[in-house]
Amino acid sequence: MDEEQRNRQVAQEGVEAGLRESLKRELEGEIRQVVEAELREELSRELRDRLVARVKAELAEEIRARIARVKAELEAEILGRAVPSPPLREFERFSGNFRVQHMVLMVSCIILIITGLPLKFHEARVSQIFFDLIGGVQMSTLIHRIGAVGLISVGAYHLLYLIASREGRRNFWALLPRPKDATDLFQMLRYFLGRTDQKPRFGRFSYVEKFDYWAVYWGMLIMIGSGLLLWFLETSLRFLPKFAADIAREAHSDEGLLATLAIIIWHFYNVHLNPEHFPMNWTFWTGMIGEEEMRRHHPLEYEELMASRVARPPAVAGLAAAGQSAADPPLPSPSDDRAQRALGEKSP
Amino acid sequence: MVASRLVHWIKWLTGLFGPTRWSPSSCPSWLLAILMGPLLVLLIPGGAEALKKCTTCHRKPTLSKRLPSGRVISLFVDEELLKESVHAKHSCSDCHSDIRAIPHKGEIKRVSCIRCHFKGNVVGAPQKDINLEFAKSVHGVAAAAGNAKAPVCQDCHGTHNILSPKDPDSQMNKANIPETCGRCHLEVFSDYRESVHWAAFEHEKEDSAVCTDCHGEHTIRAHENPESSTYMTRVPETCSRCHSSVAVVGKYGIKTEQVATYGRSYHGIAIKFGGKTVANCASCHGVHDILPSSDPRSAVHIDNIPKTCGKCHTGANANYAKGKIHVDPTKREAGTVYWISLLFKWLTISVMMALVGHIGLDLFRRFRRRGAAH
Repeated sequence: MDEEQRNRQVAQEGVEAGLRESLKRELEGEIRQVVEAELREELSRELRDRLVARVKAELAEEIRARIARVKAELEAEILGRAVPSPPLREFERFSGNFRVQHMVLMVSCIILIITGLPLKFHEARVSQIFFDLIGGVQMSTLIHRIGAVGLISVGAYHLLYLIASREGRRNFWALLPRPKDATDLFQMLRYFLGRTDQKPRFGRFSYVEKFDYWAVYWGMLIMIGSGLLLWFLETSLRFLPKFAADIAREAHSDEGLLATLAIIIWHFYNVHLNPEHFPMNWTFWTGMIGEEEMRRHHPLEYEELMASRVARPPAVAGLAAAGQSAADPPLPSPSDDRAQRALGEKSP
Repeated sequence: MVASRLVHWIKWLTGLFGPTRWSPSSCPSWLLAILMGPLLVLLIPGGAEALKKCTTCHRKPTLSKRLPSGRVISLFVDEELLKESVHAKHSCSDCHSDIRAIPHKGEIKRVSCIRCHFKGNVVGAPQKDINLEFAKSVHGVAAAAGNAKAPVCQDCHGTHNILSPKDPDSQMNKANIPETCGRCHLEVFSDYRESVHWAAFEHEKEDSAVCTDCHGEHTIRAHENPESSTYMTRVPETCSRCHSSVAVVGKYGIKTEQVATYGRSYHGIAIKFGGKTVANCASCHGVHDILPSSDPRSAVHIDNIPKTCGKCHTGANANYAKGKIHVDPTKREAGTVYWISLLFKWLTISVMMALVGHIGLDLFRRFRRRGAAH
């Protein structure tokens, strides 16, 4: 038993050393070729050296990470253990700007729900207690309108963000529904029912996240539209019949409940109660997502990200070898963005 | 039965000497008869004799007196009325206790009913807790403050003609209440006589509201007083006593759902939780002059709605009359509102079923996998 294990250990070490050496040699050769091809004409020697050093350092880290992973996998294979998954790195999922938007939306919604539901469920004892505590319906109405200002502001700001900021446009593009979302949903259901062991492979946003995002559009449209009509009732009724106000009230009340239920049941499950995230997923606060989680939940995004970092030099080398200008951007802009974003990653 | 009565009497008698709470009103009737009988025997012939003495002068219909204020008051006493009243067996001086001599000397005061009508009196004069509320009522407070015009007991209940309120001839019988109150509240009485409540009342609908049904009896407060049944936040509750009851208004074909729909409207919810600037029933329907919406004079007639809503909603126009006012989204008559309500109901149900189903399947898979791993 011991003998066997020791033999395996030795074998593993041999494999490891060989792998490390070959990878290193191969990659270094490639880098040199690429960087030289790219920089031969335009750049000074000094700059070239610095770039070479930086790319080398990055690659060294990449290689170390890969070796560590391969080592862990081999070890697990040999010792029959599960793959240990230390949080290797973190990626920025939500920018500061986006986190502030989510924060304002969250606080506004909480205020609106707390001051809105007691009006809907006015017969409940707890509503009476709420109004007694807060100082009557006049005060709750005022607070509700403060919440409304928050919601309207974040809605308007978000539209501006989608149009004016590069990050907004990129996220919006990624959030647009695609046929893949439908097939992902079906595969997920098959997976849930045990028909397959293959979970759907999501990109930056899964169909669940897309649903949440677009549901907020629907909610905002109904709630802000009917809410403004009721807020400025006398102005509205100058142009609209009284039953329009009744419809607005009914829609406001019913959509308010629907949104509340969606948040409490669906969103809370996804970010709090889900066994993977319990007690809560901190991404909304830190903006960061761990590498393991990234690989598990957004494999397509992860792979694209890794490809744009690791596979770029050979790709460029290939292009250069084919006689194309090395100064041209090697990949279209979306993945370029991702690569830039990935440079902002943090090591734990 | 007999034994339990015996026990009660013994308890009462021993209670006289014991530390337990003892009250004369719990006195058994037989003992009361023994104790009070001789007194009554003394009272009855005495009463009759005294009445004869007083009516020597007071039977004359022209007998009157000029008060220092210049007002002339009649001093005529109708013997027939007095004999039919609940106080027929009492002598004049039982109430007019400050009259000791003929001709009368000094200032003759108003009769004070509480000489007999107090809690626990032994002569059996009726007295309920609610009657004591009079002291806190708008009438009682004004009388106590020295307002000579403020009514006291006899202004409403009558003087020599006092009858049980159940008696149709009593001033306090429901049939006579509007006139009784109207003697002082003339303007309100004439407004009230225009209203649907009076019209129904005249047609012998004894369920229709008279003054006391809304304002209370001994508990009458000014409508600015938060304790008043006609205080702005308590009006819905007061109206709903009849208008939410199928047993009262239902039998005349009046819908009771208006109370519920008001309660669900923003007006109704806000007033319940302390809103002071929202409409109650009377804000739209009027107060003493309430009329059905079919009457062109009614504040809630379709042509008058812009004006009525405009009391609070500046710039109210004909749009305010387009659509049901007491709208119930769960009823088909609500029109578009009903369909919107239905749409959201099913949207909510289907979305929640889908989301909960997704969560359930997710958990199902997780636990099954965990179970399989073990």
